[in-house]
Amino acid sequence: MNYLIRFGIAVTLTISGISHAYLYIHGYQHIPTIGPAFMLQASVSFALALLILLGGPAWLQWAAAVLAGGALIAFALSRTVGLFGFSELGWEPSPHAAISVVAELVTVGLWVVCLVERRRAVAHA
Amino acid sequence: MTDDPHTMNRRQLIRHSAWFGAAVGLAVVGGEVISHVAGTAQASHVQGRPALRFAQVSDSHIGFLGKANPNVAGSFSQAIERINNLGYTPDFVIHTGDLTHLATPEQFDQVKQMMTGLRTPHVFTVPGEHDSVDDAGQKYRSVFGAGTRGDGWYSFDIAGVHVIALVNTLNLKKLGHLGADQLDFIAKDVAALTNDTPIIVFSHIPLFAMYPDWGWATDDAAQALSHLRRFSSVTCLNGHVHQVFSKTDGNVTFYSGTTTAYPLPHPGDGPAPKPVTLPAGQLHDALGIREVSYIRGHDTLALKEQALQ
Repeated sequence: MNYLIRFGIAVTLTISGISHAYLYIHGYQHIPTIGPAFMLQASVSFALALLILLGGPAWLQWAAAVLAGGALIAFALSRTVGLFGFSELGWEPSPHAAISVVAELVTVGLWVVCLVERRRAVAHA
Repeated sequence: MTDDPHTMNRRQLIRHSAWFGAAVGLAVVGGEVISHVAGTAQASHVQGRPALRFAQVSDSHIGFLGKANPNVAGSFSQAIERINNLGYTPDFVIHTGDLTHLATPEQFDQVKQMMTGLRTPHVFTVPGEHDSVDDAGQKYRSVFGAGTRGDGWYSFDIAGVHVIALVNTLNLKKLGHLGADQLDFIAKDVAALTNDTPIIVFSHIPLFAMYPDWGWATDDAAQALSHLRRFSSVTCLNGHVHQVFSKTDGNVTFYSGTTTAYPLPHPGDGPAPKPVTLPAGQLHDALGIREVSYIRGHDTLALKEQALQ
């Protein structure tokens, strides 16, 4: 169960990272602040995904959840009040926006499942 | 060593440090790889230098007297100096409006004289609402209107890019307005262009709804953009809002530029967009110019903001 969750987190992190890297390469690199943030999101996602897959400590999953949650908040800000002077409409750029959001929601969801499982295990111990 | 399960022994500390180091190292390597791929993708489209390089300057407000910037002429001179020291000669310089603060003949004369110091083959302008405060832009057109059509709009082709300069500051109520004649001009102007022609649009007031409550939008922009949706790359550059802001909407990207005069508040930050007086020494960080490059084959233009500091 635990391995499946780790595998799931690694996969969703990778999907989100690929989306961000693709957008960075195809134009977002020129947007002030947002461009470097996309590259950082992608590179950290790939690093965490690999280390979680290799059986790294639990705080890597926390970091994954923070990264995914942060990306979701940034997405919401960019569709509402703007983020670092940048805003976008709806699910544009399609389909990358939707793919990233779904992947990040699943990352956070899997982390919550992992957390609950761990607490349950501690309670039973 | 300790028996407390919540503390960490040396071995655990070393192990966690190793994982952390691996995370940082892999992230750095990943970033390098992504940067390299992005650079390679860009380089594959580059043949020598970019096909088009120009600079945008905006909202110089020559004639403004206020605490927010007691020397707008001085900061505009710095902006000109910055453009002249880009390290290359830009193909043109565009001033996206509010050249003057009160549209007096003296202010128009001063800004025109100052812009003769720009080292570039062409200087283009569009009027801001401050350039047409009392005469619907007549004085502006008498100084900067040569070769324009209608109330001062025009278009031209350069390096395979089609450039359209629009006037949305006349007939102002609250929002910017283009009007039927100009919309008709846009429709006819782009009719013969192929879908892969890159389009750049200049205007003073944003063509997107940046903050309509403060008039930071153009009421008939949707009609103008409907003529441009079929093009694979449309870039709209504007001034007016005195701050860098960008928005994407399908194939259309909007970029608001900063000012060389004084900052305005962020959208909705306060009751009205009044000049902001920054603490001493911080003004020139908020002022600046923009470099824009077009690389053939790219859908997006490369923008680089430069503060006057």
